[in-house]
Amino acid sequence: MRRSSLVLRVLVVAYVGALLALPLGFVFQQAFSHGWVQLWAALHDHAMDLAIVLTAKVAILAVPLNVLFGVGVSLWIVRRPSRVSRVLDVVIDVPLALSPIIVGLVLELAYAQNGWFGSAFAAMGLRVMFSYPAIVLASVFVSLPLVSRQVIPLLREVGDHQEQTAATLGAKPTRIFFTITMRSIAWAAAYGVTLTLARVIGEYGAVLIVSGNIALITQTLTLNIGANFDNFNSYQGFVGALLLALVSVLVLTVIGVSRHRLERKRHGSFV
Amino acid sequence: MAVSYNGVTKSFRGRLVLDGISDVVNEGELTALLGPSGSGKSTLLKIIAGLIPLDSGRVSLAGKDVTNTPARDRHIGFCFQDYAPFRHLSLRENVAYGLKVQHVARAQRREQVDELLRLVRLEEFAEQYPHQLSGGQRQRMALARALAIKPDVLLLDEPFAALDAQVRAELRSWVHSLQQELGITTILVTHDQVEAMEIADRLVILNAGKIEQAGRPSFVYDHPATEFVASFLGPITSLGGISYRPHELELVSTNEPGETLEVREVVRLGFEVRVILGEGEGPTTWVQLTHDQAKHLNPRVGERFGVRVRSLKSSSSQSSPTRESTR
Repeated sequence: MRRSSLVLRVLVVAYVGALLALPLGFVFQQAFSHGWVQLWAALHDHAMDLAIVLTAKVAILAVPLNVLFGVGVSLWIVRRPSRVSRVLDVVIDVPLALSPIIVGLVLELAYAQNGWFGSAFAAMGLRVMFSYPAIVLASVFVSLPLVSRQVIPLLREVGDHQEQTAATLGAKPTRIFFTITMRSIAWAAAYGVTLTLARVIGEYGAVLIVSGNIALITQTLTLNIGANFDNFNSYQGFVGALLLALVSVLVLTVIGVSRHRLERKRHGSFV
Repeated sequence: MAVSYNGVTKSFRGRLVLDGISDVVNEGELTALLGPSGSGKSTLLKIIAGLIPLDSGRVSLAGKDVTNTPARDRHIGFCFQDYAPFRHLSLRENVAYGLKVQHVARAQRREQVDELLRLVRLEEFAEQYPHQLSGGQRQRMALARALAIKPDVLLLDEPFAALDAQVRAELRSWVHSLQQELGITTILVTHDQVEAMEIADRLVILNAGKIEQAGRPSFVYDHPATEFVASFLGPITSLGGISYRPHELELVSTNEPGETLEVREVVRLGFEVRVILGEGEGPTTWVQLTHDQAKHLNPRVGERFGVRVRSLKSSSSQSSPTRESTR
């Protein structure tokens, strides 16, 4: 019994090591393989820096959009249930089930110059595909349910008695939202934000298709890393990968903390 | 402030919950809405508070129609069964919420909250958070929070249901005396007839969305309008095909004229002694004796006794002595 559990533990550690630790360690080893001076120079690579800026710009728009949508749709589904909202509750998970490639292709179909909506935008002189808006669209699409999937269960669990009590105490709906509702779902929303951020920064497939992957213009950090490997510039690729790995460590830390806070809040309130 | 509702009807997904009910609650009175679960009593309370819309009917406060007035403008204090504490706020902040909404100045707010906390005896817990409080303390917090806005009417939804027996009894009499002290019109929802009889000035008995009977507890107990009310307010038994309360019957010796029954079972419940009698396969009759009466008669299984209805005078004085003395 003890022996087998030891074997099991070794197996698990080896499995995780082979899948996660080794490749990640390899990224670090490769990025530092040419020394600090080279690394410093690689960090100032013009194309990569522009890619980082673009990724940041996408996240700055996509994450708030997702929070607004996620919280709004959660309130609708939980507090004002209707046939439409129940359908939405199911449909909202589609981006999780769909391969990002399909998401990219669907968006291209819709927003290309001769697509369903794209032609309308084209008539106004706007180009959606192969530009910043397309990347934001794809990022929002793939991360659509990440905030609401965290917020919905918490809203259900908390119930509406606090909100109704606040109403009998004279509070208007906006005050109730900010002083009661938002306060009870804040950590769930924060957790959703970090998940969204991780997804937006790390997305590859959908963005690859809708952005056109034009270096210096529509290349996000993930696309830049891909391009560097394709062009046999693997050292530069590893430096980019190192940055992404560092971001994910940061995101994981924030997720860990917010999840811990969330659980404490849930359990603590029923002591 | 008097509360009245007229022809209140409400359905949820095609199920009729309230079927055109009407009543008037007088100023300063404590009314208990009593009924089994699913009778619509909580729904009625939320409709009076303006928390859920009604399908048809009117609700008035002090003669003023408030049917379309939102909850925030009705000036009604409401306490949920789960007390709905604002989990992220301290006890003090919970109580202060309504005052903050009304933009009461900070110093004045502090003073009023302190006074309320004294009233509900929670001064030393002011800085604690809801999860650090016991059920009874949270209940008192909810009450203080509702009272902070100086409501015209207080609505309590099953206020003691989630508490254990001892705390429940204490809080019940405390809430009763507080309500009398403040003289605030109060409607309390409960499924516990003992609770309702103990503290209510008036009972409204609901069943399947309709009012079965309304009136003073002692009157309703003694003169139930329907079979449902009779059985809901307390045990009933039958003698010769007529329904009686078990304590309305008495045992007499077989020497007296009239039919006799055989003792089947004697259950001693402290002060009360329950004697079950019957004849052959026929229906059994439950006679409730006091400890002293049982000691005097000493009924044993197998013995025979005459059963008759106690004289009216002793029966009515026994049915609710507490009520008579408090009114």
